[in-house]
Parts: sequence; structure tokens; C-alpha cells
Amino acid sequence: MMDSLTRLLASIAEIGFSAQIFSVLWATLLGIIVGMIPGLTATLGVALLTTLTFSMNPNEAILVLVCMYIGAIYGGSRSAILLNIPGTPANAATAIEGFPLARSGRAGEAMAIATTGSFLGTMVGMVALAVISPWLAEFALKFTSFEFFWLAVFGVALCGQLTSMDDVLKGWIAGFFGLLISMVGQESMHAYARFSYGDPNLAGGLSLLPVLVGAFGCAEVFSVMRQEATAPIKAKVSGVIAAAFSSLRYAVTWLRSGLIGTFMGVVPGVGEDMGAWVSYAAARRASKKPEEFGKGSVEGLLAAETGNSSAVPGALIPVLTLAIPGSAPAAVLLAAMVIHGLRPGPLIMIQQPDFFYSIVAMVFWGSVGILVLGLTLTRPLLYVLRVRREWLMAMIFTLCVVGSFAIAGRLFDVQVMIAFGLIGFLMRETGFPVAPMILGVVLGPILDANLRRSLSLTEGNLLGFVSRPISAVLACIVLVMLISGLPPVRRWFANRTKAMLSRRGSDG
Amino acid sequence: MSRLPVARTDLACGLFITILGAGALVESLRMPRFEERNADPFTVPGLTPGFVSVVLLILGAALLLRALSGRTATSQIGTGVTITQWNRGSVVRTVLTLAAVLTYGLLLFGHFPFVPVTAAFIFAFTVGAELIAPERQLSLLQVLLGAAVLAIAGAFTLHFVFTDIFLVRLPGGRWW
Repeated sequence: MMDSLTRLLASIAEIGFSAQIFSVLWATLLGIIVGMIPGLTATLGVALLTTLTFSMNPNEAILVLVCMYIGAIYGGSRSAILLNIPGTPANAATAIEGFPLARSGRAGEAMAIATTGSFLGTMVGMVALAVISPWLAEFALKFTSFEFFWLAVFGVALCGQLTSMDDVLKGWIAGFFGLLISMVGQESMHAYARFSYGDPNLAGGLSLLPVLVGAFGCAEVFSVMRQEATAPIKAKVSGVIAAAFSSLRYAVTWLRSGLIGTFMGVVPGVGEDMGAWVSYAAARRASKKPEEFGKGSVEGLLAAETGNSSAVPGALIPVLTLAIPGSAPAAVLLAAMVIHGLRPGPLIMIQQPDFFYSIVAMVFWGSVGILVLGLTLTRPLLYVLRVRREWLMAMIFTLCVVGSFAIAGRLFDVQVMIAFGLIGFLMRETGFPVAPMILGVVLGPILDANLRRSLSLTEGNLLGFVSRPISAVLACIVLVMLISGLPPVRRWFANRTKAMLSRRGSDG
Repeated sequence: MSRLPVARTDLACGLFITILGAGALVESLRMPRFEERNADPFTVPGLTPGFVSVVLLILGAALLLRALSGRTATSQIGTGVTITQWNRGSVVRTVLTLAAVLTYGLLLFGHFPFVPVTAAFIFAFTVGAELIAPERQLSLLQVLLGAAVLAIAGAFTLHFVFTDIFLVRLPGGRWW
């Protein structure tokens, strides 16, 4: 315990007392700006910045990416509060409470509360990251191919279910579509090039980064240009620092939201959006003033921002311990780690413990970055919201193209990026969530290797998949999840809830 | 009976997914089994894609059947489906974006020197997007001048950052 704390403090000091602190500042500021601009998401920011980190040493590269990630999720609160447009999907709940506050002349207070909430949320998540990850990594050492197979199925199914609550079927389709995409190219056991049709580019498989940049970056350009423009804002900002301190009074709210957000971050592929919504809903249920929700509730705003920010370190927990991303930006971060020669997974605490503590320290400094920059640059950052999309989108697309090309110097990657831009755009337009598809692409190789290894070990006996305790539990969870997503079961639950509510209404 | 637009979209998507799943399953079954190498039958390349395609086929068929019955997920219009909601402005902007992006990304980038084609793309896209924007406040001259500055500065900066700092050789060769 003391050894872990010493290592963590040493990592924090190493960043704080070196030139790396400048990287923290510029990357966090860049993240805030990316998050603030409607249409630019944290995933896009992390993906584009990954292409700019090739010449950096691995630690510095991951540091700037983590800071960009934390900054972008926080930055989205600015446009949510001032424009009623969430800068990133994770800030949708923020807009519900932040915009009414801004409209009533309390924009400065709302931004300060969002800043403090994000800082506290990231801190709660950071503690969870430091405490849970070593334990989870040790537990994951017991995993065999059976458990990893179920973990891959569990990840895709759960991500599909939670990112598409209205239409679970579409979430699952998106996840399995991603798994199918990951099958393209040479497989690991017999070196056979699947779905390649003699094309050497396809035989090499589809790289994750062009797929990600396309699905989140290029598709974003299409989506932003398709929507109506937003009007430039004029907001008065005052009382920032005082409001920042006042939000500390809601200790129960931020602690509860921080824990909920962290848990939602840990769940594969779900991430910040659900962290914010579930925290917001819990705060509303527990509030002494639920009637203020939707009309500018400070508690609601704090819960939403704490929830989405705490999901960031939460999403890093499965990345570091299982090599499974907790959210879409975390998937890019995972890819970046692999590109930089780092090997996240169950062996991280044995092979690279210093790297693990560095990540925790990066999260710490990223959260300090958003607190300092968020409170001091309130007025200058307002100018970012006045940039018109017409002047931005061409540059963003050019970065997507050059970034995709820079990874391996192949024009094929640019074509893949554009193809996935179109696929991502069509998926959004037709109501399919994109995150499960990306998770499917990430988990595909894990599913493939472990399914075949398991079947080979048991000589085709399917009982092997449910005869070990951990795999049996995972199999049961997947089964319950699939059954609960079936339309008749969902209808039955909905009718039952409705009946209970009406009975309560007639009793009361 | 006329269907809801959402159900029509789901119908098309369900059909596509079902065909994709069926096609992938056929392809998976056609993959080699490597019997001549005495390969373990449970490690054959088509096994996992076959499993994934079967699941995709079932899910696609479920979506198709649901749409055929005229139902949507929550029986509400607009469950995240926006492809049926277009107006003239969104059509014009989308067509312009697609045309510019596909021309630059697939035809120009990599086949011509980076700086001029990138500058031309940024200039054309920005001017085009501004000219069709009803809320435009700048005069035509301001738009042209601003877009030219952005295009030249953007192209040269990207070229400098990628080639001189990150040592990436951009395709198309140097122009000047």
C-alpha cells in the first residue's frame, strides 16, 4: 500500500516538476477548445492528436492524449451551458440545467459549477483507477480463453444495449457489424486473408485508427454540415470563483455522481454519456428540490458534469487491466498505447507498474489543468464559440485525411477513413449507435483468437464455455442481458412498471 | 397501409443487414479448412466470421420482420432516425460537403502536390459553405480574402507540421 502511494506521488512529482507540465497545459487547453466546439468530440480530438504524437516518447504521447481526453469531455460543458448545444454527446445532460442558468444571467456560476464538478469527478475516478485497477488486473490473471471470449461478447452486447436504450436491436447489430469488420484481413492461426479477394491492402486488415477517425471525425464533418447553424453567443460572465467554492457544499451529490460515473466508465464501450445521464437521474431522485430540475438546478448540473468526467478515469480501468476500452475515446487511447509500444492488459502491474502509476498521475494533472484553465480563461474561451463551422470543417477534414495517411503512409488508409466516414454518417442518420461498432472492431481479434482456442482445447465441447465459475457467471450475465433486451420482455417490464405506478397513484 | 418513415428506414436497414449476414456466412463457409495440413477443425479461419455472420443474420432478420410488421422500437416517430428529415438547406450543405470531401480525399490527395490541392480544397469548401449559408454576415470580398488566407496558412502549416516536425512524407511531392 505504502509502496503504491510512494510510486504514485513520485509519478505526480515527475510530471509536476518537469517540462511535461507544459504539455499538460497545452493539451488540456486544446482538449477544452475541441470539446467546446459543437460537433467536435473527444474521440475526434484524441484520434487526431494521436497522429501528431508519433515523434514523441510514449509517456509524453499518452500524457497529452489523456489531457486532451479530460479537457474535451469538460470543454463540452461550455457550449452546453451557453448555446444549449452539448459540445460532446457526454454534455447533453449538462445542457438541461446549464442553459436555463445561463439564460437567467447566471452563466458564470454555471460554468464554475461545471468546472468544479468536472474536477471533483475526475478526482473520484482517479482514486477508483488507482485502487481498482491493480485488483482487477490481478483478478484478470485468472482469466483464460473462455473468460476472454465471454468478455468480448459481454462488451459488445452491453455496449449495444446501453448506447441504444430506445432500440437495443440496433445497438447489437452495430456491435456485431463491428465484429464482422474486424474479421477482414489475415487471421493469426493459419495466416489466411479473410474477405480480402486478393487485395493486398485488405489482406493487411483495416487499421483501427483510420476506422475511428472516419467514424467519429469524418462522419462528424458530414453531420455538422447537415445540421442547421447555431447563432453566435453573447454571455455575461461574473462570480466564477465564488460559485466554484459554493459547489463544494454538495458533497453527497458529487461523491455519488463520481462513483456512478466511474462505474459507467468501467463498463466496456459505454463511457461518459451514460455516466452523465445516470448520475443526473440519481441526483434528481435523491434531491430535496426535484422541482428545480430542468429549470436550472445547480445540483443537477453538478451531477451531470461530475458523472461524465469521472467516467474518463473509469474508462481507463478496463483499458489498462483488460485491454478493453470503456468508451470510444478510450478505444483510441488503447490504439495509441499499442502504436507507442505499450502493452496494457492483465500483466500491466507485473510488467509495467511505473507506466500504470504514470497514467494515474496524468489523470491527476489533467484534472488540475481543467480546474486552472477553466476558472482563469472563462472570458477568452468564449471567443472559441464564435468561430463559424464553415471556417472550421475543411481544416478538420484535412486533418482527418493527413492523420489517417500519416499512420502508415498508405493512401488505402485515407480511403478506409472516408468509407467509415460515410458508414458512420449513415449509421447516425438511420438511428444506429456508432460506439458499439468501434468496440466490435477492437474486440474482434480477442473474440476470434479466444473462441477458436477454447473450442480447440475442449475439442468442440461447448460445455467448456460454462463449466468454469467466472465464465459461467459471464455467460449468465450475457444471457440475462439478451433476454431482457427482447421486445416481449421489455414490453412486459414496461406494462408492469406502468401498472405499479398507476396503483401507487390511486393509493396515494 | 402506409408505413411510418422510421419503419421504412428500418425495413431497408434490416434487408441490408440480413443480406450482409447471409453473404458473410456463405463466404465464411467457403473459407479453406486446411484438411491437407491436418489442421485442427476448431481453428479453421471461417469459424469466427461464421459465428458472427449467423448472429448478424438473425439480428438483421429480426429488424426486417419488425419493420415489416410496421412497428418501431418505441412506437414513436423519430427514434434517432433522421434520414427521413431533410430540408433544402441541409440537402445543399450535405451535397456540397460530400462533393468537396470525396473529390479531395479520393481524387486529389496523394495524386497531386499536397500544398496546392489542400489550399484549393480549403478555399473552395469554405467559400462554398459560406455562400450557401443564409446567416452569412460577411461580404463576398471578405469571404474570398478570409478563405484565401485560411487556405494558404492552413496548407502550409499542415505541410510544415507533418513533414518537418513529425517527419511524415506527404504524397504528391513538393510543389515549390
